[in-house]
Amino acid sequence: MTKKNYIYILGCTCIVTLFSCKHGEGEYHNITDKIEAKSKNYHGTSISSEQLLEGIETVEISEGPHTFLIPERKSQIKSYACTECHTKPLHQLKTNDTIKKAHWDIKLAHANLNTMNCITCHNGNDMDNLKSLTGNTIDFNRSHKLCSQCHSKQFEDWKGGAHGKKVAGWAPPRASMTCVNCHNPHKPSFETRWPARFNTQKVKERE
Amino acid sequence: MSNNNKKWFSLDLGNTKKEATGSCGCGKTSGGCGSHTHDQISDKDFDAAVDAAIGDERKKDGFDQVFDVQMDRRTAFRKLTASLLIGAGAVSTSCSVTTGENAKEKAQIDWEEQFKGNYKLMTDEERNATVERLVRSYQLRKKKNINMSSKDAEKDVLFGYAFNISKCQGYMDCVSACVEENNQDRNSQMEYIRIHEMKDGKGFKFDEADDNYYHEVPAEGHFYMGTQCFHCDNPPCVDVCPVQATWREDDGLVVIDYDWCVGCRYCMAACPYDGRRFNWSTPEVPEEEVNKNQHYLGNRMRKKGVMEKCTFCVQRSRAGKNPACVEACPTGARIFGNLLDPDSTIRWVLENKKVFRLKEDLGTEPKFWYFMD
Amino acid sequence: MRRLKVFRSLVKDSLDTTTQGSKRYHIWMAFLTFVMLIGMYCYSIQLEYGLSATGMTDRVSWGLYISNFTFLVGVAAAAVMLVMPTYVLKDIDFKQAVLIGEGLAVAALIMCLAFVVADMGGPSVLWHMIPGLGVFNFPNSMLTWDVLVLNGYLFLNISIPFYILFRRYQGKVPNPKIYVPGAILSVFWAVAIHLVTAFLYQGLQARPFWNNALLGPRFLASAFAAGPALIILVLAIIRTFTEFKIEDKTIKKIGMIVTVAAQINLIMLVSELFKEFYAPTHHSESAYYLFFGLHGKTALLPWIWTAIPLNVLATVLLTFGKLRNNLKVLYFCCFILFIAIWIEKGFGLIVPGFIPGPYGKIAEYTPTGIEIGVTLGIWALGAFVFTILAKTAIKIETGRLRFKTK
Repeated sequence: MTKKNYIYILGCTCIVTLFSCKHGEGEYHNITDKIEAKSKNYHGTSISSEQLLEGIETVEISEGPHTFLIPERKSQIKSYACTECHTKPLHQLKTNDTIKKAHWDIKLAHANLNTMNCITCHNGNDMDNLKSLTGNTIDFNRSHKLCSQCHSKQFEDWKGGAHGKKVAGWAPPRASMTCVNCHNPHKPSFETRWPARFNTQKVKERE
Repeated sequence: MSNNNKKWFSLDLGNTKKEATGSCGCGKTSGGCGSHTHDQISDKDFDAAVDAAIGDERKKDGFDQVFDVQMDRRTAFRKLTASLLIGAGAVSTSCSVTTGENAKEKAQIDWEEQFKGNYKLMTDEERNATVERLVRSYQLRKKKNINMSSKDAEKDVLFGYAFNISKCQGYMDCVSACVEENNQDRNSQMEYIRIHEMKDGKGFKFDEADDNYYHEVPAEGHFYMGTQCFHCDNPPCVDVCPVQATWREDDGLVVIDYDWCVGCRYCMAACPYDGRRFNWSTPEVPEEEVNKNQHYLGNRMRKKGVMEKCTFCVQRSRAGKNPACVEACPTGARIFGNLLDPDSTIRWVLENKKVFRLKEDLGTEPKFWYFMD
Repeated sequence: MRRLKVFRSLVKDSLDTTTQGSKRYHIWMAFLTFVMLIGMYCYSIQLEYGLSATGMTDRVSWGLYISNFTFLVGVAAAAVMLVMPTYVLKDIDFKQAVLIGEGLAVAALIMCLAFVVADMGGPSVLWHMIPGLGVFNFPNSMLTWDVLVLNGYLFLNISIPFYILFRRYQGKVPNPKIYVPGAILSVFWAVAIHLVTAFLYQGLQARPFWNNALLGPRFLASAFAAGPALIILVLAIIRTFTEFKIEDKTIKKIGMIVTVAAQINLIMLVSELFKEFYAPTHHSESAYYLFFGLHGKTALLPWIWTAIPLNVLATVLLTFGKLRNNLKVLYFCCFILFIAIWIEKGFGLIVPGFIPGPYGKIAEYTPTGIEIGVTLGIWALGAFVFTILAKTAIKIETGRLRFKTK
């Protein structure tokens, strides 16, 4: 009688124990394996950023293995083309010091004056374009080529996508902000400021 | 909806019977294919019999499955009225002749909302129905229209997130954007994201970090690290939920059905990342600040006594947009994308930067990586 | 048909029994009802304002309710310590005590369920948890295991004494072939309910304070100390106020159980303390907070430093047979042991699990008046249920309540 009961209870316990294993996991050992396995047959998704990019003018660039869109720049620059005012090469525009200079408000805070001044990037003889360190012409729409001369590490990260922001969404086609969309080229570092939020409840909670 | 992999106990009389009928594999429902033997009754007849017996309730779940099958709705209602306060209120209003049409409709909606099933197990029609009810309910109450989506996970998408510790300056624009996007309770100042201000040279000392600083940032000699729900691939919170009110979607998002949650807070205890928040009181958002572009599993209005958390802004991310925090970040410290797309930027980060995750030893497999320049 | 008639008569008789009694009995019941009403009022406030009426926060998300729940599961499980010797080992000594023990288990379980419901954020959707009606996340969620074992145990503990009393009520002898298998099952079941409740916490990798292998066994040891300690106290009260005869021998034997369990519990406590403080890692911070306070936060110190000395004192006193066999000392020891374990397995276990939080942040927890009101109300409910059960059971057992064939 009792023996039978014991066997019965033991049996029940065994069944419950077997049944109690966690389900639904273990298909992949870890997330890296999962990503690898599941992206093998990747043929794109139906989600696209194209709609979000509507109305934003972009240009396509190719840098190494990466091809993506960046916002068009020239139309965003106030009073481009520069030659509309700067009708003559810079040295011919020089006047005496009494009248207000053009671009008087620009204070260069980019590296130090030993390294950079206006003509490191701007060409006094061709103001509609930028110029590389060796004097080659760089289009305003390709200004990243200028930055990348010194900031090669950031450039690598930007190309891959580790540096910078996307224009609209995560979905393809990729459209990334270019350097000057976030950094003011004359004053590229971010300023200190106050945080956007302060949580008074959290203070109370931790008193 | 296949029920073969069900691991919970729910009475699914309809479903099992249906599977038993159309099982010849040829796709036809009449007895025309070779695999039907003649002594069986034809599938058509059987279907008709089943239909007669259980009507159209074969796909319902949860409460509906049981009560619609066993007895007619009115009997079931009456039985439950006694025990369920909110139901009692709804019935008395809907029975009263003096109340207006609107009040009646409200009561009807409340009633159906109270007894609807788990979103995860709903059919598409049921999902649409509950979304419609919620939109209508908001219209009746606030006289404003909201736009609520019930978009499912897309195929070949697995969301992942990367956070650049060297870039974050602690501005907390992300926190602000998140609160506004996701309609979080303003009274208790609920925030999904925490930014921890850490001292240089001390490593990741979370306990000494300040996550509620208020001074000019970035502060000298400090760096910043953001945490939120990491959408683990092996989420402990999902395992412990007694009612499966939280689960991992196919695109990797760990979501909550706010209406199915019973508020036991077991998931909160199980989360090693402080990713979950509880509505200790009725959440309040000023009407003009309500984000009306909503998703059922995302930023729709919650009620008191339920869990909520970051959903990688499911209402945005499933539409191709970046989550609000990613979009708001002025420094580009936040990177979001599809882990399955070999050309995506998030994949480039994972493959080319030195990435790590928090508390990797716990085996939770978060889909949120940190890296430095 | 006859059975139905007997049952109807039993219900009527027990209603008579429970509504009649001495003045002291009426005062006691009125007092309990009053406390229950206060508890219900507090709960109605909590329903209206949500759980923000309690002291719990996102940081410490379980508090007084779950602490009491955890402790009471232990009390309920302890009934087995009496069931086993009586039914299985045929030790006649415990026979009178066992019905009281099972009554206590029923009351404790009802309190457990009440505490769980009180802790829920959405009590109106609790039907989501009913297997069949809702979605039951079994076997993944330990909470569903707990729901199953607690309700199963409640069923066992109602049905076995009911069968015995039902037979006695008719003047018959209960058939051991019917109740002994149930009793054996309940022995395993009692271990299960407490182990499962321990696993509820033990299985969380997020909380290192709970995530240790000793938690389950320690739960059992402390439960088998606190539960029978409470039974001894209850038996002492029953002995004084009713004509129900309970021999000294019975109480002393239960005292023996309490002693052994308390000793094992103390050994495990030492082992735990050694692990936490000999080579402390950042996982030991919760223990530091509990015993010494952390970063100036010291809310739990008075509690734990009440519990530990009481626990040690009781265990030491009980260890000496001479002292243990002195009933006055025994009652005193049982009382302080009960208090000590209530603190240790309640507050001292649940709250430090959340402190410091996953990122080392400390927010302390103090229960609010509402929370304390609800808690007292539920304890009163338990006492109320137990009084009713015990009164009927005693009357049947003493043979003064019998079915009268007309």
